[in-house]
Amino acid sequence: MINSKPYRVVPGPEGLLPPAAATCGVVLPEKGEGLVLGSLQSEQDTLLVMARELLTRKNPTIFPGPLVLWAWKEGVAEKAASVLELADEIPGVRIIPMPDYRPIYPKIDPEAVINPCHPNLTIWHNKIEVCVFVGVHCHFANITLKMIRAGTNCYTITLCHEAGHEDSMASLPFCGSDQVRALTEAIRQLKREGLRPRYADTPGIQLTPTQQTVLSGLAWQHGDGALAE
Amino acid sequence: MPKRVGSSHDKEKVHKERRFDMALRTLNVAPGFMRFMPKEYQDLVEKGPFGRQIKVTDLGTFKEVLEEHPMCEGCAMAFFIRLSLAALPNPEHTVMVGTAGCGRLAISQAAIPFVYGNYCDTNGVATGLKRGLQIRFPDQHKDVVVMAGDGGLSDIGFSQVMHSWFRKEKFTTIMLDNEVYGNTGGQESGMTRKGEVVKMAPLGKQFEKIDMLGLAQTSGVAYIARLTPTNPSRVFSTIRKAVLIAREVGPTYVQAYTSCNIEYSIAPEKVLDDARQVEKERYGFVEIMSDEAKAYLERIDAESKA
Amino acid sequence: MEKHEKQRVVTPEYMFFEAPRTRHFITGSEAASEAVRRANLDIAIAYPITPQSETMQRVGDLFGEGFLKDYYRAEDEIGAFSAISGASRTGVRCLTASSGPGLMRGLEVIASWPGHRLPLVFLIMCRVINAPLSIQPDNLELAYMLNTGSVLFHAENQQDFFDYTLAAFIISEKCEVTLPVSVAVDGFFVTHARGWVEMPSAELKLPGRDCYNEAVPMIDNENPPIRIARDAPIQKSNFISYQMHAAWQQEIHAAQERSRRWITRYMGGLLEITNPDAETIIIASGSAVSQSREAIRQAQDMGHKIGLIKIKSLRPFPVQELRQACQHAKRIIVPEFNCTGWLNREVRATLYGHTEAEIADGPRVYGGITMPTEMILEWLLDAEKGGQ
Repeated sequence: MINSKPYRVVPGPEGLLPPAAATCGVVLPEKGEGLVLGSLQSEQDTLLVMARELLTRKNPTIFPGPLVLWAWKEGVAEKAASVLELADEIPGVRIIPMPDYRPIYPKIDPEAVINPCHPNLTIWHNKIEVCVFVGVHCHFANITLKMIRAGTNCYTITLCHEAGHEDSMASLPFCGSDQVRALTEAIRQLKREGLRPRYADTPGIQLTPTQQTVLSGLAWQHGDGALAE
Repeated sequence: MPKRVGSSHDKEKVHKERRFDMALRTLNVAPGFMRFMPKEYQDLVEKGPFGRQIKVTDLGTFKEVLEEHPMCEGCAMAFFIRLSLAALPNPEHTVMVGTAGCGRLAISQAAIPFVYGNYCDTNGVATGLKRGLQIRFPDQHKDVVVMAGDGGLSDIGFSQVMHSWFRKEKFTTIMLDNEVYGNTGGQESGMTRKGEVVKMAPLGKQFEKIDMLGLAQTSGVAYIARLTPTNPSRVFSTIRKAVLIAREVGPTYVQAYTSCNIEYSIAPEKVLDDARQVEKERYGFVEIMSDEAKAYLERIDAESKA
Repeated sequence: MEKHEKQRVVTPEYMFFEAPRTRHFITGSEAASEAVRRANLDIAIAYPITPQSETMQRVGDLFGEGFLKDYYRAEDEIGAFSAISGASRTGVRCLTASSGPGLMRGLEVIASWPGHRLPLVFLIMCRVINAPLSIQPDNLELAYMLNTGSVLFHAENQQDFFDYTLAAFIISEKCEVTLPVSVAVDGFFVTHARGWVEMPSAELKLPGRDCYNEAVPMIDNENPPIRIARDAPIQKSNFISYQMHAAWQQEIHAAQERSRRWITRYMGGLLEITNPDAETIIIASGSAVSQSREAIRQAQDMGHKIGLIKIKSLRPFPVQELRQACQHAKRIIVPEFNCTGWLNREVRATLYGHTEAEIADGPRVYGGITMPTEMILEWLLDAEKGGQ
């Protein structure tokens, strides 16, 4: 058997057109496993790696996708709540949604959204060096991850509802609310063990300037949620 | 305080419908995420047309599904598309099918699922979409609307258009007729008038504009209409009728003169004048519907008044 | 109770490996339609072309009996394939089929299915491509299929045609795959000839398509996002990066790679090896494998030990497995039913630098000629002698 060096999925920028990790021999994890830099790890080890990166890298950002942004079926509200709980544990975190996949024209507002047609605009503009994708359909997540690895130094983390993503630096498959909460727990564990988060002095979720503008310019206020109860 | 968006906006009704209509659940922002949503989406959720019956007089008072578009200054097609999208009876249960051409530049930017395949395939794809939706949701009206140009429908897509009509597939076909292949720089199409000198027709087009209306009649299309965008109310009612009749009666076809002011050198401020002129000379309003279609419209009219 | 109403859903594992099977002596067309009967299929769209018409006619009969929810005969292959791509987007389980010139006619659409991430099964009953015209078998069309991005299996016989078709539905719908799966078979040799096929009961059917667990959202207005233009945007301006298109194409090939584990699980591997220690090896796919088996039997009677590698999956191609299997080979021949030798090229490209074996440039027949075992034997014995 000819052994070639295993491909490592590390933060970029890797160049104009790096290969897809799946075509370089990186395989998807089973339930109970995760992927870190292209190698299979246990779920717990993967969570701890994710937690450490989120607490120590610059401008951590959560990118929720359509499957968690829109409460279209049972269980979504619970998952959304678990994502917000996760956000609460990451000081200095931002939440920038990926509400759809259409080719936004003429250009996106990188402080308002991330879009799979040109994710690098959001990453570069906000100087994001670690991010979490959750609730994005796998096809769009995969192309987004490849572009981010090609053109930025961002550390990508995916909490995937399905089989996981070889193209992110850390990935967990078959994630429901439990796994999101497990990541939150891993973050709390590292803090208890003495890790001082990079943004320890600015706890809580940060709004981007655009989000602040929208919030203060809103003609109506119903608190959280789309419609009044 | 929130601005009232017009008498047809009943927030409580919308709220209830959004709770119970599966499709509208895709417009319920998950609790806690609203403040992170971009403004356009907040507007769409709060002030969009979903679950409501929009009238042409409501334009300008609600968040339209069409977000933005890169069409040329003065493009009559952009105007027509905007009207058509606002006229859809149930945008929350509508799928649009487009193809190569100028139209899809705008249609793809609407908050309505949009499908774009290979050039020629709109009516085959629409056939599959309609049948698939029928299998999965037999109790829910799912409107499939093809909106494409003259090239895509009367030339390369001709076979699929005609055969979808022969098979009586239940969806709407709307031709954005600018009488040229506009998106590729202005070449002759089947719907170009005889004698017009355009690219690939240096000596003028050698044969007549294709009579798609006649072909639709021969094929037994249930509702056929021809119009220009000179009368927004008429556009609204025509599109609405075409979509409704396709739900239960049979295929419907709307052919709209939507000029390409670039390729036909019409000054932007003259576009509507041109449309009125063309309407007077050769593109007057035509509406042909089968007895069954007429009876169907009368029935649903009566039901809505009851 | 109607026959289709008696069917009960079982897991793919049960259907493929555990359910008791009975033997039937049937044609390939019958085998494929029996697979469809058990596939819990929603819609099939047909267009006649020899030699696949019989299969799709039988699928039509299944529709008449209630085993499918919708079926019709389209106006041509482009119409059939376009409609199936519309149907697949809505989340229903889809099937269509073609042969030779029909496949070529619809190739634009076939080549676009993977990029649109459309789970569906496409049966290919190979036949000569014009010109010159013939309805007889020849699998040159698979050379064109190799670059489309579709997962592609090549069934050897009626049994394979049954098994691979059922597996194809399940593999195509796996979230990390979400691709069309094409199951090819050599026309007439398999479709119209009879062979023994072991099949589980007709009262079993696969689970239905679970469309909300796939790589892309469904076009049905019932799942998010509501603003959805799912198809790759034509990149006209430089703000929509060319890199996005490149990444999209990479993702298709990555998805193909991800199907390997499912092919291994449901089909026992991407290839099969008989006599793995032999120094002379035949590498073949499709009905060339059947001819090779007979040639090997005759060669063994003459005292020669010949290895056989049956390639089941053409895309993804069993690269590592082939290199492993040919490590110690000294001579390789590649019998196939087409003029250009597409399998020969795949083998050479895969083994370059990984084997010291001499790879013969054939044997090949085409235009409808059957491959006599004598021809394979001749090449084998020539290879053993060191000549060609």
